[in-house]
Amino acid sequence: MPGDRTTDVLVIGAGPAGSMTAKWAAKHGAEVLMIEKRQEIGSPVRCGEGMSKEWLRDVGITPGRWVNVEVEGARIFSPNETVFEINEKHAGNEVGYVVERDGFDKQLAIDAANAGAEIELKTAATGILKENGRVVGARVKQFGETFDIRAKVTVGADGFESQVGRWAGLPTNLQLRDMDTCLQYRMTNVDSDVRYCDFYLGQVAPGGYVWVFPKGDRLANVGIGVQVSQIRTMAEAKNYLDRWIDKHPAYAKGKKIDMVGGGVSISKPLARTVMDGLMLVGDAARMIDPLTGGGIANGCIAGKICGEVAAHAVEIGDASESVLSAYEKGWRAKLEEKLYRNWLAKEKLVTLSDATFDKIIDALSGLKLEKLSVHNILKAVHAKYPEVTKEFEAFL
Amino acid sequence: MASLSKRSLHIESSGQLCIYCGACVGICPLNCIYLDETRITFDEKVCTRCEICVKACPVGAIEIG
Repeated sequence: MPGDRTTDVLVIGAGPAGSMTAKWAAKHGAEVLMIEKRQEIGSPVRCGEGMSKEWLRDVGITPGRWVNVEVEGARIFSPNETVFEINEKHAGNEVGYVVERDGFDKQLAIDAANAGAEIELKTAATGILKENGRVVGARVKQFGETFDIRAKVTVGADGFESQVGRWAGLPTNLQLRDMDTCLQYRMTNVDSDVRYCDFYLGQVAPGGYVWVFPKGDRLANVGIGVQVSQIRTMAEAKNYLDRWIDKHPAYAKGKKIDMVGGGVSISKPLARTVMDGLMLVGDAARMIDPLTGGGIANGCIAGKICGEVAAHAVEIGDASESVLSAYEKGWRAKLEEKLYRNWLAKEKLVTLSDATFDKIIDALSGLKLEKLSVHNILKAVHAKYPEVTKEFEAFL
Repeated sequence: MASLSKRSLHIESSGQLCIYCGACVGICPLNCIYLDETRITFDEKVCTRCEICVKACPVGAIEIG
């Protein structure tokens, strides 16, 4: 086809995981082309914009203007709004920054470009190229023109709505119970506490939570995630969120200036994320933490490994599954145990009644836990409400 | 499997309601929904009208009928 191109590494999707992959592959000497279907990297934002921060340095990201607020901790609200406060030390630095995601994504794309990666906007993958069972690139559409990009290594970093894996034959399908449907308003004139990211549990958001992440200057992201298997009527996520806001005067008086939605996977880690010529990374590889719904850190951590392995495969001229499995081993070593543990915890939490949430948070509120672990939490709850922990014996 | 009659129903995402978030795209078990910045399209020949996307849509934009 006219306009066909070739490259060493083709990265599909310029979110954080894609940009990190592109950057680290380019840094290690590979010729990299990253394509993005949107006209602007990072926009529109589809994110609560809260993230931890301790991992940033390890993967080579320097905090920049995209940091809105540095929070001190998180507050978990039970259905009767008893509060359990987690400071950053106890949370294992789970909380940290509230960010401008569009600025963050652009920074990572700039880092990739500075490392030598090419970037093409308005370029959507419409299918995968396969020869003798191996992925050899993608068919793309750019400004109405269709052409093929042939690559030694192809990386699917196409986010929650990933199609690359499914086109290639790597199953990434989700069950209804494996997904939260999310909606968020950015609101101004609200009285949120800029020191905390707030989480509200229970039937206010079945199988998920309501979040309030402060962005400073009386601005906050107020959002909700609801497990799709618990949705009964159309637009229920929006209805739950609107009802919650109506019941909270600090937010009901606020004005909405932005509205975003999206899907979040809350599944077990995938069985397989590589095949001959292809790797999946980030939300596309279902790397979102199923308990917190956070995907940025895991996507970036895996992206660095993905880029390094892609460059290595190019260098030795072998992008077979056995070579690319170094990526699979690498990301699993760093992320899988926690993903699996948090998936187990989430599977339990989505079954709890409001009364049980109230007891758990009541037992924890006011406690000064040395270290926040599932074990320590259960011990504290057991001391006050032994009947509640019966359900959690598997975790002890 | 949806019945043949159900399969003949029209499916679309209301441009007035849709916020182009991609939630429907990610959950579609047949991978037959496409998001093109501000346009959602369904492959009506592949779609079985299983209505999973209707549930997954946070704002209720997807209509069948």
